Amino acid sequence: MGSSEVAVELYVLLSAVLFIMGAMGVLLRRNAILVFMSVELMLNAANLALVAFARQWASGAGHLMVFFVMTVAAAEVAVGLALIVAIFRTKKSIDIDNLHMFKG
Amino acid sequence: MELTLFIIVGGIALISAALMLISENAVYSALFLILNLMCIAFLFLMLNAPFLAMVQITVYAGAIMVLFLFVIMLLGAERTLPTIQSRFRWLAPAVVIMALLFLITVSVALINGEIIQTEPRKAEPQVRVVHVLDGVASLDVYLDGEAVAQDVAFRAATDFAPWREGEYELAIFEAGADPASANPLLVQPVTIERGKAYSLTATGRIGAPGARLVVAAHTLDFSGKKDGLRLVAVNALPDRPWVDVRDEVYDEVLVGALAYGEAREFELSKGTRSVALYTTGSQRAPVSELPEQALEANTLVLWVFAEQRQPDNSFTDVVISLQDKAATSFGSPTHIGQLLFTDYVLPFELVALLLLVAMIGAIVLTHESLAPRKVIERRLANPPPGLEQSTPGETGH
Repeated sequence: MGSSEVAVELYVLLSAVLFIMGAMGVLLRRNAILVFMSVELMLNAANLALVAFARQWASGAGHLMVFFVMTVAAAEVAVGLALIVAIFRTKKSIDIDNLHMFKG
Repeated sequence: MELTLFIIVGGIALISAALMLISENAVYSALFLILNLMCIAFLFLMLNAPFLAMVQITVYAGAIMVLFLFVIMLLGAERTLPTIQSRFRWLAPAVVIMALLFLITVSVALINGEIIQTEPRKAEPQVRVVHVLDGVASLDVYLDGEAVAQDVAFRAATDFAPWREGEYELAIFEAGADPASANPLLVQPVTIERGKAYSLTATGRIGAPGARLVVAAHTLDFSGKKDGLRLVAVNALPDRPWVDVRDEVYDEVLVGALAYGEAREFELSKGTRSVALYTTGSQRAPVSELPEQALEANTLVLWVFAEQRQPDNSFTDVVISLQDKAATSFGSPTHIGQLLFTDYVLPFELVALLLLVAMIGAIVLTHESLAPRKVIERRLANPPPGLEQSTPGETGH
């Protein structure tokens, strides 16, 4: 684990830009599945920042956090996609602008 | 070289993320996201996280994205949706411009050198105590008033304990003595740095001028040859100012001219070795011997050549050999496994429970009997003539 040329700041910058792109995707896209994929992009950006800092501070805890985040993301995707499939069966559409169930 | 690789892979990640956002077809977006996840896995490899890189590819790209693609296909969601209503048309370009401004600002700051780039830290230092100080039955060791080890018997060694880096005043007392009031047997300044494991060896004969503390340091990060191990040899024989450590079988000098009180680190490849200690320059009779030492790869080995006082006041030479597993390479599955199954068992079990609950939830949500409510068509009571009415009854499930 010797020194390397790429400082942690560059990794955090990349992670920040990817996070912003993911946030844009969540706000702008109307297809529910694409919103989901943008959320996954945000999670990955956070993972990248965690691993970069884990190397910076020589701490294995960062890696473990990424491990847990990945697991929770997998669980979230399973349940979320199941929800989308269930909604699609009734509404026949996954356009999030049409998905209000609570009027008002 | 690493910087170039980072820029290329990072660029591909950014471009694929942008294309994922822009693409009209949901399947294309999913494929671009897979490309992005692969780039991030590559970046994990560059960040000394091989286990996470493989988990990323297996779980994220291999399972989660496949699930996404299944659902996209199932729902026919790749059909394009109509464009955003006119009142929000300014939103998309505004956000794009803001993101670009952020990127440009930070890049300019980076290029002008206004962002300090820091070096990664090394591993935490580890400290243990070895006692071969003649004349003291057992001792306590204190670093700046804090106890490192207590009641260390002669020829015994403690386990490694993590310690903060810094410069300390080391004091050795008789076991049970109060550090504030009693007189220390030995006082010595010690510097502890990151990335090293220290074996503080108390050697010599108490009262004689040669009594001292030998600070034997092992380097912690193992970047040596594959299947190699690191050894430190300590000369703790006050009567032998210069010794050689020789390998009997291959007849070569492993460590030459080791002075009393000196600790030297060297690397060997694994295997069985017979080692003997000679006075420098002579090969007549070995001072002490270590026959048939099985040396395993990836370990830290400490050899302390010391002496023990016999009841009739003569000395026999003894050797203390301590073997420890070397610090596992950072980010390897071994390292992650060690952490996961010792310090982090509870979160591990909780997340496993969460996965189980999610599985059950997904099955319950998509189960057929919970599926579509019946869609009831409404009929007008007095339909105007000519208006089509659907047949009364229930449609749908």
